Parts: sequence; structure tokens; C-alpha cells
Amino acid sequence: MRILGGWIALTPELDVKLLLGRHVWDCAQHADLWGRRLPELRAPAQESEPASDRVVRVLDVLERFEGRDQSVERVTAVYRVLKPHLATVYRRHLAVANPVYEPPTRRILERCIEEEWRHASAGAAVLARHLAGAGMAERAEACERRVLAALAEARGVTGDVEEPLVDATASAPDPAAVAQDLVEVPPPFDPGVAPADLGERLRAHVAALARGDLEAAERHVLPEARTAVRQEYARLQGPWTQAAVAGVARIGRYRVTRLRLDGAGQAVVQERWVPGDDGWMIAAAEVARLQPGG
Amino acid sequence: MDRPIAYDKLAREDRFIRMRARDIAALKVEQGLPPFPDLADRDAIRDRVHGILVGELQAMEGAGRTVYDFPDAPWEFTLDMARQVWDESRHVETYLGLLEHLGGYVGEFPESTILWRCACAEDAAARVAGVNRGLEGLACDVFNQLVHIARKIGDPIIERSVDYVLADEITHVRMGSRWLNELTRGDPERRRRAIEFQETIDERFNLNGTRLDGAHEAVPISIAHEARKLAGFTDEEIARLVKSTQRSQVY
Repeated sequence: MRILGGWIALTPELDVKLLLGRHVWDCAQHADLWGRRLPELRAPAQESEPASDRVVRVLDVLERFEGRDQSVERVTAVYRVLKPHLATVYRRHLAVANPVYEPPTRRILERCIEEEWRHASAGAAVLARHLAGAGMAERAEACERRVLAALAEARGVTGDVEEPLVDATASAPDPAAVAQDLVEVPPPFDPGVAPADLGERLRAHVAALARGDLEAAERHVLPEARTAVRQEYARLQGPWTQAAVAGVARIGRYRVTRLRLDGAGQAVVQERWVPGDDGWMIAAAEVARLQPGG
Repeated sequence: MDRPIAYDKLAREDRFIRMRARDIAALKVEQGLPPFPDLADRDAIRDRVHGILVGELQAMEGAGRTVYDFPDAPWEFTLDMARQVWDESRHVETYLGLLEHLGGYVGEFPESTILWRCACAEDAAARVAGVNRGLEGLACDVFNQLVHIARKIGDPIIERSVDYVLADEITHVRMGSRWLNELTRGDPERRRRAIEFQETIDERFNLNGTRLDGAHEAVPISIAHEARKLAGFTDEEIARLVKSTQRSQVY
């Protein structure tokens, strides 16, 4: 619950952000149910402690997936490993929980099993959208192996779980139930939202930046802004293999664009365009993000 | 993960254009536009709705950070903040739908991170005072007015959707009042600092004379007396807010 909550701000993708946002409250309720059950079993209420230092290390492994570009790892670690593992542990506990004198525990287990599998299914649906990129599926698999290995070393979250740590035989939850966890996010950005004449100039401008032709790119800049913009462009370290308009916002008649340049590294340039006698011209530019190549 | 994280760690898809609030306002004024979108036409309503959408996103992110940043806070506090994360995620969904209803798109207007910055206070009491009472109080004002305008222009989709969200915001203000009291019990200095932080936020979000005490149609953002009372603000607190709107602040 805490890690999911902390990750929301660090996650750029809207669908992943909202997936985490959907589940923090469910996880909190699970923790609350267990915390309230504890005093009924002669333990202090709402007090938890890890089964061992190795269990702490499992969560440390998860917490390290905090980079802007590690959403695949975040979703994999929680939704492909941790939640199915929790559901597995709960199910085994339910199988041995006495139906005559342990109904309070059984009810909590039943709810948690159902919701953990529902979460895992929603996570799988979101993850599938992000595995199409080059190397993404391999990254997810590597992450899965890493978290599973840490869990195996800890012998599961309770420190005494027998292999397999994730029971893959669970039945798939009702798709209608899973749907409540999936927010329909808008389609990818369409550069066609820019006014037609700006769109034409933007294409030429992006192409000039992509091939490193800063002289051509500067021809789209208002004379009075050229010195400042040139300083920003000087920060761009190509070469770039791909360039695209990633966003267009409007402020009255002005437009602010976000251009993404990809190569060994990545750069994002934000520019403000104003309409005038010479068509759309750049009045200001800044490098909003610069990620060096590997 | 750091506790708390730096402001600039807030992650967005590249379709979002991030700018400083004062720069956005200055560029609008330069074109003869009001610095903050009024509700005069559908286009302005779309701008306002987009602003609320990114505000809800930041509220979800802020509440999520509060769940993470304060592991030693009372469990019920964490539980309330977790509930708020879920509420805000549903609000984001609502406003995504409203933006589509109004023919807009995500990223159509720049995003400022002024709300998010307020959500990064290092003390939990200051955070709930600033976010739950200051910012969610502002949300009560904005949403109450939007419900009224939507009713007036005959848009039941906006009217009903925003009314549901307003009910949640009132609940969040109540949570803020409760936790401001409980977290600062026996520590008047901490309470004073938290309230001071909230008042700074209230002043900042008067938006240079944009929030005023007046009729919904007459002022850019009207103070929602009834909604604020429902949320637990006292008459004295509302009077103090009204008074603060009469002072000018440029940010």
C-alpha cells in the first residue's frame, strides 16, 4: 500500500498511475482488516512486523524501481509477483482455516484472495499495453525473476511459504469485476490538434532538430529570442534517430509544444510559438528533459 | 524512495505541457485575456475543467505520497489518506470524461505544479492543513460555482458529475480538520505553523483577486459559503478567508 502510494507521483504513464491510484485504498482496507483481527487473536491491534530481514529486503528490491522509466518494473513486481504471491499464501491459509472457529479470519482471507487476483488481472491488462516496445518484455521477465528470487530467499512474505511461491492455477476473475480497476485513458497524443499552418512548420522544425541542423531550426525563432534559444539548443547532444511532436497546449493565440528527440539518449524540448506576419515563430524554448545515452 | 521526494520528480507523459503558473498568467494578460479562465463560455469552461483535471491528478499523487511519507503517523490517518487516493483517482476519471464531453484533449492547456508543491510539505499536519483544508476548500469554491454555471447553461452532465465530486471534497476537508486537530494535539507550535501554512495557501489561491466573495456569475471564483460550512469551516474562518481575498497577491 505505501509503496504503491509513493510510486503514483513517480510514474508518468496515465494508465499505470491510475491503476496504482485505484488499488491503494483496497490494500489499505486489507491491512486494516488484518490489523483489527489481531487483538481478537490476543495480539496488539494494527501492529505489524516483517517475518525476517529477508522479507524487508524483498520490499527494498521493490522500492528501488522508482525511476521515471521503470513503470514496467513497478507493475511487474507488484502485479505479476507480489499480489499473486499474497493470493497464493492466503489461499493456502484458507484451506487450513477451521470453518467452525475461524470464520472471521476466513472472511478476510476470502475477500483478500478475490481482490488480489482482481488487482493482478487489472495489472496484467495494463502491463500488456507497455510490453510492445523493444526489450520491454525481457525487462519484465528479468524483473519477475529478480523479485521471485528475493521472495524465495525470504521463503515468502511469511518466511515459511513452500514452493511454488505463486500458484498459477488460480481461476481468472470475472472481467466485469476487473473492469472497475481499469480507467479508460485517452488515446495517444495526436499532433493533428495543432493548427494546420503550425503543423507544417513544426514538421520542418522537428526534422531540422533531429538531423542537428540548428541553423535551419533557428530560422523558426524570432530574432529577439535567438540568443537565448541558441543556448538551449546547444544543450542537445545528438545524434537523434527519432523525433516527434509529443504535446501541443494553447494559451490564447499562442501554442506551446513539446518535442521529443530519441537517440542513444533522449531530449524533450518545450517551445512557445506565436503567430505573426511570418507565420508561426518560436518566442521561447527550453530543454525540459535531457537523458544522456548509455 | 526518498521521503518526501523533490518537487521536480513529479512524472508526466510528454503530452502534458508544464509551466510556471505566473508565466501562464502573464502570457494570458499579454494577450488581453483574464489570467485565470472565467466561465464565460464553453471554451473557458474547458480550460477550467482541464485545470481541475490536472489538479485532481496532483491531489491523487499528493495523497499517495502522504500514505508513503509518514509511516509513523496514526494508522487511521494513513487509512483516510489511502481513501483519498482512491477518491482522487475517480475524480481524474470523471474529469477525463468531462474534458471529452467538452471536446477537449489531455494536454490542451499547460499544467502548473503549484498544487503539487503545496502537497510536498514536510510535516503531516501542515500537509493536511494546506491540502485538505486549503486546496480542497478551494475545490469546494470552484466546484460549487461550476455546478451552478452548468445548471444555468443547461448541461446536466457537468452539473451532476461535479456535484458528486464536490461531495467528496467536502469529506476531504472534514478529514483535514480532524487530522489537523489530532496531529497537533498538545503541540500548539506545530498547530500554529500548520495553520499558517494553510493561510499562505489560501492567500496564494486567491489568485490575485480571482477568488472573491460574490455571485457565481459576477466573480471568477466565488466563495462557497454553504459548502464550506458543510465541510466544517467555521463562520470565523470563512470571514477570515473573505477578508484575505481583499488583499492582492501576485505569484
